Amino acid sequence: MKRATHAAETNQVGRSVPRLEAWQKVTGRAEYVHNLRLPGMLYGKIFRSTVAHGRIRRIDTSAARALAGVHSVVTAEEVKSVVPEPFYGPAFHDQPVLAIDKVRHVGEPVAVVLASDPHVAEEAVHLITAEYEELPAVYDEVEAMTSKAIVHEALKPAGTFPDLKHLKGVKNTNIALDFRLRRGDAAKAMAGAERIFEHRFRTQQVMHTPLEPMVSVAECTEDHLTIHTASQSPSFVRIEIARLLGWPENRVRVRVPFLGGGFGAKLYIKLEALVAVLSLLTRRPVKISLSMDEQFFTITKHASTFKIRSGLTRDGRVVARECEVWWNGGAYADIGPRVTQKSGFTAPGPYDIENVAIDSYALYTNLPPAGALRGFGIPQLVWAYESHTDLIARELGLDPVEFRKRNILREGRPQATGTPMRDAAIEKVLERTAALLDWGKPFERGSGTLRKGRGIALGFKACIANTTSLAAVQINADGSCTVYISTVDMGQGSDTAMAQIAAEVLALPAESVTVVHSDTDVTPFDMATLGSRSLFHTGNAVKLAAEDARAQLSKLRTELGLPADCAVADVFRKKYGMRAGSVTGVGNFIPPYTPPDANGQSDNATPFWMIGGTGVEVEVDTETGRVRVTRLVNVADVGTPINPRIVETQLSGAAIMQLGFTLFEKMLFDGEGQLRNASLAEYKIPGMLDLPPEIVNEAVVSEQSTGPFGAKGVGETATFGVSPAIANAVHDAVGVRLTELPLSAESVFQALQRR
Amino acid sequence: MRRAIQFTLNGERVEAQVASHETLVEVLREDFGLFGARESCGQGLCGCCTVLVDGTAVSGCLYLATLAEGAKVETVEQGAELDAVQEAFVERAAFQCGFCTPGFVLMTRQLLAENPDPSDDDIRHYLSGNLCRCATYPEIIEAVQLAAKKRRPQ
Amino acid sequence: MSGGIALMLMMKAGVLRPSRLVSLRRLGLDRIELGAKGELRIGAMATLRALEKSPHVQQGWPVIKRTLRTLSNVRVRNVATVGGALAHGDPHMDLPPLLSALGATVTIASGGGERTSRVEDLYAGYLETTLKQGELVTQVQVPALGARKAAYLKCTTRSADDWPALGVAVVLDGEKPTIFISAATDRPMRIASAEAAGRLQIEGDLHGSAAYKKHLVSVYVKRAIDEARDARR
Repeated sequence: MKRATHAAETNQVGRSVPRLEAWQKVTGRAEYVHNLRLPGMLYGKIFRSTVAHGRIRRIDTSAARALAGVHSVVTAEEVKSVVPEPFYGPAFHDQPVLAIDKVRHVGEPVAVVLASDPHVAEEAVHLITAEYEELPAVYDEVEAMTSKAIVHEALKPAGTFPDLKHLKGVKNTNIALDFRLRRGDAAKAMAGAERIFEHRFRTQQVMHTPLEPMVSVAECTEDHLTIHTASQSPSFVRIEIARLLGWPENRVRVRVPFLGGGFGAKLYIKLEALVAVLSLLTRRPVKISLSMDEQFFTITKHASTFKIRSGLTRDGRVVARECEVWWNGGAYADIGPRVTQKSGFTAPGPYDIENVAIDSYALYTNLPPAGALRGFGIPQLVWAYESHTDLIARELGLDPVEFRKRNILREGRPQATGTPMRDAAIEKVLERTAALLDWGKPFERGSGTLRKGRGIALGFKACIANTTSLAAVQINADGSCTVYISTVDMGQGSDTAMAQIAAEVLALPAESVTVVHSDTDVTPFDMATLGSRSLFHTGNAVKLAAEDARAQLSKLRTELGLPADCAVADVFRKKYGMRAGSVTGVGNFIPPYTPPDANGQSDNATPFWMIGGTGVEVEVDTETGRVRVTRLVNVADVGTPINPRIVETQLSGAAIMQLGFTLFEKMLFDGEGQLRNASLAEYKIPGMLDLPPEIVNEAVVSEQSTGPFGAKGVGETATFGVSPAIANAVHDAVGVRLTELPLSAESVFQALQRR
Repeated sequence: MRRAIQFTLNGERVEAQVASHETLVEVLREDFGLFGARESCGQGLCGCCTVLVDGTAVSGCLYLATLAEGAKVETVEQGAELDAVQEAFVERAAFQCGFCTPGFVLMTRQLLAENPDPSDDDIRHYLSGNLCRCATYPEIIEAVQLAAKKRRPQ
Repeated sequence: MSGGIALMLMMKAGVLRPSRLVSLRRLGLDRIELGAKGELRIGAMATLRALEKSPHVQQGWPVIKRTLRTLSNVRVRNVATVGGALAHGDPHMDLPPLLSALGATVTIASGGGERTSRVEDLYAGYLETTLKQGELVTQVQVPALGARKAAYLKCTTRSADDWPALGVAVVLDGEKPTIFISAATDRPMRIASAEAAGRLQIEGDLHGSAAYKKHLVSVYVKRAIDEARDARR
């Protein structure tokens, strides 16, 4: 693609710049670790547990080792020779590189076969046998609270969560975290309320299924390790691997090209510790590339149970809300505790409620681990509170939109944490969702076997805090610009957005900017690409870095006695007498933050809010229970979009993904914790034929005053309201209320039978 | 046991030593460094491994390489310039992470070769075997319509 | 190995571990023609896509073309063969119940000669056919539709593009329906009416419980009969 280098004539932000990497992606030349091969590389294939909970009695790798072409077979014993304490995790150091003494879920990695030919490695895996002494297992999150089946002998909090220290060494519990928030006096207000409503909602375990399955490659020298990995969190990987090895950070290099999808699956440590150890053991590059099926055993989305109780005045004002949320974290905590806590505090919804009590529990169970998945716990919460809200409105005989208007949080009002709402266009999103759904117009529900209905839902999320991003912006001797960031482009368009931001500051065409992909030897620290934080944090850092570079050039012009409009190339030529030199600006963005107190109260709990509204029209086939979404409206407050077209595709894409989680995706386990549908043949994700015929996406006019050029995150926003909007529409259509996801045809049909 | 086979790859006569169990996708990647076709679902359902054999789109991860002997094999890497389909995908922002994109491009070319003026319904059915987890489906449909328009003689 | 789709899936899953595969592609069995009595003669190695695009099929058996449109995806149809679809014995296939309802037959060749079988007689159970060792399906014959009208409904309970939870084929000869269902049962089954669904042996699976699938049979048989009645052919 042609790269323009002349000064920009139009704005760079607010323009639908085509993605910088368009040529690579449409010609199949984009770089993914999936494609990486290195000379002398060994492929690793994983031997996995076949029981959900058990002590490892014996692992027999002799037949595998004897197979021609097998380089070696590795178990925890060999791992410990390189890393004596091989436990990792962002919240708890509870996850072993390979199973030690126990296995805690079906599919847990127990051993690895290494060979130059991946087929040989695969064949050898089938020759490994293991014996387990099975232990009682627990699979349900509520049951796990009190179950005698204990997944971890003792809790092992990491240093990353200061408020988990008190849990170190605690035994005989599956409760990894118990988050508590109290505002006002919910019990008293509830007792005095004129109307009380209580409901219980459940969601299911699902998986991200990025089409590029998780993959990592490690190569080492005597004292240096390079990990090429499909990861959303390269800086974290470096820190954690350095910690595990006891090496300084600058001896561990983490490189990330494009990701073939992430959605939260490729975070923290997945395969990186394993390949690092294997490379150190073999002194050869080692690649582990999961199959699609194996992803289901690696990281998933929390199933949940949410009991929600509200006390209202007779005229429909919510005066108290009690929330109890159980999160099914699976066998290893991963980032579950943060979901429990940081999403947990939004459990009452975007509503102005004086008295709130939240108890949010992260539970261990003997299922594959749960972690971050687009929405980060918010969709599960919104499922409950927006279904609950609709049920209350119906009971009170109030229009669902009017009822919400009566209770929503407005600018400046304190949220459940006590943090005042700022730059959160809740009312506008609600109004636009209703308008785009023609809510004010009469709606024909039909009288035959096909019934129509419509529904609305409103959700919000607090951006994770506290986190930081750094960026470097280099102006080269010819005036061209290079941006160095550790934010990872996994399809959300971060490269393009950051280029636009730098270009806007430097008055260059965005298309002319080069963005260097994450390489911890080159690009500066970034907390991670997750939770829709990057546009705000890294964007601000890039803006600061570009401003710094611009200021340095300005200073240089002054020093050299050159006019303010002197071209950059001429400035450098004047300074060095030839084409030479560069200027590097740096930016470090740290938003203000106040950690919550023992009651979860803080005056600054988050740097920005995401607001998402969903409106749907559905058609229900009452003979089969089949639900078809005929119209899908996605409305969001994303501040002022940097790239309107990318914003639109992110809203649309997130909503369609959530459609799958709402209508048909579900990981199905039998009574022994065995997963029955670990493949795309049996775990169906949305395809072309599942699209609603009409989809409307809108970013409301708004501004994030602290965001770069008024922008904030968008990647997750359209996931929030999809599930409850559909359940609300089904209720509208056929008068039945479903409280569990997915809304499969059979479950709707059964509800119709029971009516 | 490897066997030498000859075939045409993106217009060029080539030779490869293939084992009987190797798939076309494996050979394209390992022997020829062509990474546009990728194995993802491994079951022929996602389309990421789409390759053209004798002008017909197949799932490369389910196609034994040895059966490509004497055939004309084409991948997304063929051609130096972007064609109308690729241009349309760029213009309509019809991709995000890009992992599924080569498969969609190849299938779209096939669709338009068979049906130069497809309806939305035709497009959805023809591309029902190509999955996009980023769910860029609406934009892809727009891109296909735009590509059809670009390809029609003015 | 004909198209090889099912074979490759089974080999990759580790369910089948052949030491040798023989490709049938050079037997010249891929023609699609009309016979002397106006019947459709489909070579066993004709791909599903060739069948879908055949002008004979479009003219004389449009229900086959309509059925193929949602059978797996285009890439699979480009490679999978008619013979393979019939000889695999997988009850989730769409063609066996449809061809059974149309009264189709197959020619089976072996070292000992040739025999003919009705398509409906090919199936003994889940992945079990009545084909004997050393036998090969070489051709499928589908009688002319005549004045009959036909419909095939594929019911999926998860995403739209999925293996069917239930397949229903109906051929109407005047008011007399020939009904075959598949997918919910372990092989294609002929039933007399929608009400007969209750007597079927149906197992619950990932697509739905046994009770729900039984209910779907009664709903979809009625719908298929209506659709056949409304079809132009």
